[in-house]
Amino acid sequence: MARLTGLGALERAVMDHLWAADGPQTVRQVHDALSTHRDLAYTTVMTVLQRLARKGLVVQIRDDRAHQYAAMHGRDELVAGLMVDALDQAADSSDRQAALMNFVERVGADEADALRRALADLEAKHHRGHIKS
Amino acid sequence: MSALAFMLLAFALAGPVPAMLARASWPMRAPRAAIVLWQAVAAAAVLSAFSAGLAIAIRLFIPGPDGRPTSSIAGEIAALGWPLWLGSVGVLALTLLIGVRLIVAVLGVAIGTRRRRARHRMMVDLLGERHHDLDGARVLGVPEPLAYCLPGVRSRVVLSEGTLSALNATELAAILRHERTHLRARHDLVLEAFIAVHTAFPRFVRSASALDAVRLLVELLADDAAVRAVGPTPVARALVACAAARTPAGAMAAGGPTTVIRVRRLSGPPNSLALSLAAYLAAAAVLVIPTIALAVPWLTELRRLFQI
Repeated sequence: MARLTGLGALERAVMDHLWAADGPQTVRQVHDALSTHRDLAYTTVMTVLQRLARKGLVVQIRDDRAHQYAAMHGRDELVAGLMVDALDQAADSSDRQAALMNFVERVGADEADALRRALADLEAKHHRGHIKS
Repeated sequence: MSALAFMLLAFALAGPVPAMLARASWPMRAPRAAIVLWQAVAAAAVLSAFSAGLAIAIRLFIPGPDGRPTSSIAGEIAALGWPLWLGSVGVLALTLLIGVRLIVAVLGVAIGTRRRRARHRMMVDLLGERHHDLDGARVLGVPEPLAYCLPGVRSRVVLSEGTLSALNATELAAILRHERTHLRARHDLVLEAFIAVHTAFPRFVRSASALDAVRLLVELLADDAAVRAVGPTPVARALVACAAARTPAGAMAAGGPTTVIRVRRLSGPPNSLALSLAAYLAAAAVLVIPTIALAVPWLTELRRLFQI
């Protein structure tokens, strides 16, 4: 188990626990699970859970006995959302923001063919170059 | 007189000049100089638009009968007549409005971009695996090939499992060098300026050509850096592998054929120093010559007006 450095890694560990858990977890449950691998203060776990709740990643469920926490979205759902955000920007023409820069943009079927032909040209040219030299 | 000249210059720099520059093919062989030229044209267009507005508005200070500039509204109306006074006030208001819009756009784009980026970076840090053999790039566990970067102080390069499985080590090195070049050279700031100008100006005077052209040119710069590191063929293979797999079934091309342009360019003639030099000279001329030709007479006129 990698040592946790900084809040980012701790947030990851907390989220991983919530995603793996059967149902909503109390701070105590999260703390118990995480502190088997490392020395961790109860209040730290509570702070991290509250931070994650503020970020909209974790939902707080108020129970009679104790506050319980659950992941707001599944991991796959978040990954899918991230992909939409990343790909959307390449195709986006109205909201042209420089938030992230894609290596390539989305291409259509015609362009995919043109791309393969252009690559074949380049490879042929280099192949010839190697034979000549 | 100078107002008319500024106006003509502003229109030329906002319309025909960018259209011509966007159609030209030489920027492909001198991307860095071409970006500088685009920046010079955009800056000169904005400056001359302001100068035109102010040159018209300055008529409000027309010298009165005593030879001194009028400074009271009643004096201005008396000297200019109602229609001309209203016109001048209108132009001044419009100029100020454009200035305010530009400031609002710069701030809006800066804030919006950083907010969206911070949110995305948080999610990447949460969901991606950090790979040390990939120079700290984050890898998302999806089969689609993804490769992008999040610029900024806490920048990130993001790849996907699909990218790692589709590309060999050299091609991956090409992508990493490409993204690192974007991040190191802060290409996002260049784009941000053009996005701000694009959003600030009314739809009927602006053209998307400047923004689209600069978008392509920064990609070319990053491609060039990758070519210097691994040669053209791996760069082209990486481009094709990432783009072709992204083809949405039955969908129209959304972004235009810039990826094709980039791959074709890799087998074309190399960058030209002569073209670069010519473009840098043109950029300097675009900024300096109008400034001298228009601003100097205008400034002397101003001084004459305010001479007491």
